[in-house]
Amino acid sequence: MSNPGTLALRVREAEMIAPLLKRFVLESADRAPLPSTGPGAHLRLMLKDGARKYRNAYSIAAAAPDNSTYEIIVRRVPRSRGGSVFLHEHVDAGTIVEADFPGNLFPLSQVARKHLLIGGGIGITPFLGYLAHLKGTPTPFELHHFCRVEEEETFGQLLRRAEGGKIHLHPELVTEFDLAQLLRTQPLGTHLYVCGPEIFMDLVLATARSHGWPGSKLHSESFGGAHAGGAPFVAVLKRSGLEIHVPEDQTLLEAIEAAGVEPPSLCRGGACGQCMTEVLEGEPEHRDHYLSAEEHAAGRVMMICVSRAKGERIVLDL
Amino acid sequence: MPSPSIPSRPKYKPFALIPTARTHLIIAEHAENLPDLPAGSSEAPIEFWVVVNDARAIGTQRLNSGIEITRYRSVPHLLDQLAHRLEREYVGLQLYAIGTEPFIWDVARLSRAHGLDRDEFHPTHSGTLRRRVYCVHCRSFTDNVSTNIVACSGCGAQLQVRDHFSQRLAAFMGFQVDAEVPGELPPIEEAYP
Repeated sequence: MSNPGTLALRVREAEMIAPLLKRFVLESADRAPLPSTGPGAHLRLMLKDGARKYRNAYSIAAAAPDNSTYEIIVRRVPRSRGGSVFLHEHVDAGTIVEADFPGNLFPLSQVARKHLLIGGGIGITPFLGYLAHLKGTPTPFELHHFCRVEEEETFGQLLRRAEGGKIHLHPELVTEFDLAQLLRTQPLGTHLYVCGPEIFMDLVLATARSHGWPGSKLHSESFGGAHAGGAPFVAVLKRSGLEIHVPEDQTLLEAIEAAGVEPPSLCRGGACGQCMTEVLEGEPEHRDHYLSAEEHAAGRVMMICVSRAKGERIVLDL
Repeated sequence: MPSPSIPSRPKYKPFALIPTARTHLIIAEHAENLPDLPAGSSEAPIEFWVVVNDARAIGTQRLNSGIEITRYRSVPHLLDQLAHRLEREYVGLQLYAIGTEPFIWDVARLSRAHGLDRDEFHPTHSGTLRRRVYCVHCRSFTDNVSTNIVACSGCGAQLQVRDHFSQRLAAFMGFQVDAEVPGELPPIEEAYP
């Protein structure tokens, strides 16, 4: 049974497409059509592993035109909070999983004159959705995807489905590529989209900014990597009167939810700003993309989905 | 019957260089609108484009500050060259327009068509407050309007000039003011000097 406001999904197909990558095709468990999604949308799965709960968001790599299925690709991250390992080991064809309605924090610009997509590793997944959409539009696009040498064939196969535009697969580090040259020579009106590991995105976005790209033309999305844990600490929720121990492999938001408090949240990747929380005491260790550098320095608010405490204790207005 | 203040009435910031630019292109309707930028104002190259309404003053020169200045003999001449330039430009350009509202919004329209957005185009108002008025009935434009009521250059209707500004049309909306009782007009005043 699914709760109101959530979707019950049955795994129709599950297959390993590379040693660390598992592809899932999800369909509605009650055969009702799934909600429509646009390119860049993500799905947040709510997984129950005994007493532990995971809420992991994955980009929808493909949605069937008749809204019968969503496809996601999950990289196994051994030292993460455990959601991806659970999906790799315990979720297979026939399993029912619960999910929120899809959201989209990484939509394509409707006014772009060109789309430039730069992906790293599993950051390919939203771009697979983009490519399916873009091949039906007249707007030019260009994709540069960086991956490990041993995964070149896997990504090559994923990208073979896409047609048109310019698709470049680079089995090399982004630091070995002349990113500056690429970003210096994009026609006016180009929008840049970046998805991949945290340091990868930081490098691409910083290079773009240093070559004059305005913030309005930069789009990025990260899931997973940013909240891969850290030192344990204690969070005091002043209004709720709770003291919560946040272990090293759990996010602050997950620990708060486990204690029965449900603060507003959406992307769980430090991008959307929904979970912004006032800090009353203590110093946050910011890991989000939402707050400005000034707000990070001031430390009065934090994104509890990805950020943690610098010291042993932090007091929040929750 | 003063028109109520409407939020679409544009507000303008004083001219300032955007420090993150890779190239600055500063366009002025009149030479006296050009900002005084000493050498070293920006690491990025700065260019001035200006209308001089003088058939003898054409071409590009370099000022003492190192800034390149190109003079055009009319606004249409400048806008035509600007379209050509923007077609060949790269992301990183910051565009500035300084002048009257019809001028800066004509530049805005061109910049928007080439994909520049509010982070990349910066209008600064300078000079007369006279308005370009768009007749919502016959869709003609009437330029240089300084009064609250004006006869439309297209259909002749008596238009009330509103604060409702269309960035797309680069004009203020004008509505027929005597539609109920033809010929019955409110007092005509000099409203936009």
